[in-house]
Amino acid sequence: MIKVAVSGINAVDNPGPGLGIIKGLREGSTPVSVVGLAYDAMEPGVYLTDLIERVYLMPYPSEGEAPFLNRLLYIKEKEGLEVVIPALDPELPLFIDLEPRLSELGVRSFLPTRKHFKLRAKDRLPVIAEATGLKTPATFAVSSYEELQRALSRLRFPVMVKGLFYRAFRAYNSTEALQYFQSISAEWGYPVIIQEIVEGEEMNVVGVGDGEGGHFGLLAIKKLWITSLGKIWTGVTVKHPGLLEAAEKFVRHFRWRGAFELETIVSGEDIYLIEINPRFPAWIYFAVGVGLNLPERLLRAALGEEPERDWEYPAGKLYIRFTDDLVTDLDLFQRMVTRGER
Amino acid sequence: MKKPYQKPSIIKLRVGLLRDKKSGLLRMVRREIDGVPVKDLVRKFGSPLFVFSEKRLRDQFRYLRRLFESHYPRVEFSWSYKTNYLDAICRIFHQEGASAEVVSDFEYHKARRLGVPGENIIFNGPYKPREILKQAVLEGARINVDSMDEILDLEEIARETGQKIRIGLRINMDTGIYPRWDRFGFNLESGEVLSVARRIAAGDRLEVMGLHCHQGTFILDPEAYARAAEKLLRLARKLEEEFGWNIEYLDLGGGFPSRSRPKGLYLPPEVGIPPLSEYAERIARSLLLGTMARDYPLLVLEIGRALVDEAGFLITTVRSTKRLADGRRAHILDAGVNLLFTAFWYHFRIEIERELPGPPEPCTLYGPLCMNIDVVEENAWLPPLPRGTHLILSPVGAYNLTQWMQFITYRPRVVLIGESGQVEVIREAETLEDVVRRERLPEHLR
Amino acid sequence: MKLRRLAINEEGFIFDPETGNSYTVNETGLFILEKLRQGLSPEEIARLLSQEYDISPEEARRDLEDFLEVLVRYGLWKEPK
Repeated sequence: MIKVAVSGINAVDNPGPGLGIIKGLREGSTPVSVVGLAYDAMEPGVYLTDLIERVYLMPYPSEGEAPFLNRLLYIKEKEGLEVVIPALDPELPLFIDLEPRLSELGVRSFLPTRKHFKLRAKDRLPVIAEATGLKTPATFAVSSYEELQRALSRLRFPVMVKGLFYRAFRAYNSTEALQYFQSISAEWGYPVIIQEIVEGEEMNVVGVGDGEGGHFGLLAIKKLWITSLGKIWTGVTVKHPGLLEAAEKFVRHFRWRGAFELETIVSGEDIYLIEINPRFPAWIYFAVGVGLNLPERLLRAALGEEPERDWEYPAGKLYIRFTDDLVTDLDLFQRMVTRGER
Repeated sequence: MKKPYQKPSIIKLRVGLLRDKKSGLLRMVRREIDGVPVKDLVRKFGSPLFVFSEKRLRDQFRYLRRLFESHYPRVEFSWSYKTNYLDAICRIFHQEGASAEVVSDFEYHKARRLGVPGENIIFNGPYKPREILKQAVLEGARINVDSMDEILDLEEIARETGQKIRIGLRINMDTGIYPRWDRFGFNLESGEVLSVARRIAAGDRLEVMGLHCHQGTFILDPEAYARAAEKLLRLARKLEEEFGWNIEYLDLGGGFPSRSRPKGLYLPPEVGIPPLSEYAERIARSLLLGTMARDYPLLVLEIGRALVDEAGFLITTVRSTKRLADGRRAHILDAGVNLLFTAFWYHFRIEIERELPGPPEPCTLYGPLCMNIDVVEENAWLPPLPRGTHLILSPVGAYNLTQWMQFITYRPRVVLIGESGQVEVIREAETLEDVVRRERLPEHLR
Repeated sequence: MKLRRLAINEEGFIFDPETGNSYTVNETGLFILEKLRQGLSPEEIARLLSQEYDISPEEARRDLEDFLEVLVRYGLWKEPK
């Protein structure tokens, strides 16, 4: 039985990838016991006792390295934690920095490097696009009102206004752009990303790089229906040769290590790279469902084993997200609030 | 035996505030600074109180010098006076081997008064009054020229003194960072530098011996320094070829970040701010690659914040506590933005002198000024603080003691904890006499 | 008396069945709430606080007032006329 901690168990309207990862781990051949890492006592995963055996509240990554590490060590002591799979962007830099120390203490992970993580900065997209043969929409990182105006003067409306870690809005005029700029910078700081909007098919690739130029499987999907927050609601597997080839080039060129998601827009022959996520996407269970259990493969890689590398999957499999209801007592909530764990 | 007391508290639970509260607590306690109990410091020297650690100052200087010297053979550190020009602080850095980087007549005078010889002074700044400029020339200071008018001034001084003056040129350029500081010196990309150089050569009274640039402040991209070094090096070669000058130094200015926490940076500083070793590596790499078999130019660094910030603490005391209209707790401290100018841009680390029981809750820390802007921290998570609790704010060593203001109250003492643990006052608290001494009451108002 | 309807557990978790709000209190907060529910006056509670805990009667009184002020804002307690 492997004790593994997973974060991102906030399955809300803007869901974290945690539950998808956990479902994958539970369906895999390696028996696991799951510890959920939550940032708020109200995260739905806290209440899903069948999927997640134990849950701990974590300090925000913004509070600093020491409290974060202390908390992980406490959990390690109480639970005998062996592996951690972080799933949220703001905590990744911390986990990456802490990886050697955690692994010395027996908590292993399989993460991108610091350098990889920097590639996700939206102003680095052109570098990746060049290496992979993809195109990239005009992108500006802005930190002030003047820079915002300068960026807007070079783009045509509507434009995308994005936060460094989260949030993305479509702005149809400069008043809207300024409003989004202000609300994003207040929450996520600078820079704020201003990006040209490219029209086309939204296609994404998920995969796990082995850190040496190879990978443990890729899956490409097309989003059929997205929510008002831009989150996938239904999708379908595709086999777009250009896209998959670019993803392989990406892994090879940067010797990517760990999970990743490439977000693209396919417009005729052109593929535009919109974003890189150095972690699993919230729809990762899609891969598990079509026979590519990427979370389990990542777990095995973290344990130092050699996971499978086959990645045959059928095109035309459908992904349906749906809402669900759960009724429970106040007990769990009470425990989370008073003790910070359950 | 009575039970230990903690202030009663009740917190309403809301989504978004149901976060982990325990793990953050330990780090918030600071009982001592360099082994001297906070309590004793306050008892002896009062509150608020600025405290500097000599050990930290020297350690950080030696660390940075080793760091840069292990990557590049010729490095000069020039102490940026504007960051903190208390005599004791400057003296410590001069003892460690730093020259003085000054930007005004006042700072020039202060460096000379401390016994720094002219040749160990680097004179920057956009306005150098004629008189001090001449003194600097006569005393052999290295002058980095900011504008064409200054060149004219210097040519005149050269005529008066009958000597050829060797100068540095301040350059501004695109190094890929925002915002771009283009108000200091001459622009590289537009070709302004070259036309100025031609003008200098034609005048035949000045000779360029160095290049200087200052890209900005708290620069988080080490690569920007590498690009600056590369561009300056290329420019140096061009000037040498075209005008026969010998460019002896490249001055990359300051702007290196400390582990301070700018507002608008989400990640904690230990993760979000690149270590200074990355800066050293990048700078050295571009210089070594660009130099080849040629003599290595002297690399001058005007590091200020990264040397002094973390050696400075401010001890302040909770003087009263109230509830704001929305139920949130607010504490009034005896130090505000009058002493903490950097509070506008940075979040301080807030530590408490002792462990306080009780759950942390969101609160606001106000200073003692009768102004709405006097906010030290808008949103701190602290346990209930009894009146009289001492808080220790850090890092505050950079800029606060040069930009503080004497507004409605006296500025407090500054002490230095020496390497053997002795505590010395390095600036006395202000008195009424200090403040009114320069005032004159006209006869008819007496 | 609104306080009587609250469900309070020994770990300091409070649920208000009428409004659906939840609260947490610390040990001394819990102590005060229990005494209020028993109908004790603020003066008496402050005295008991300083008997039970390591605190002067004056400071106990000051903290108690602050605490009651918060209870008032949360709509959990009203000053008896």
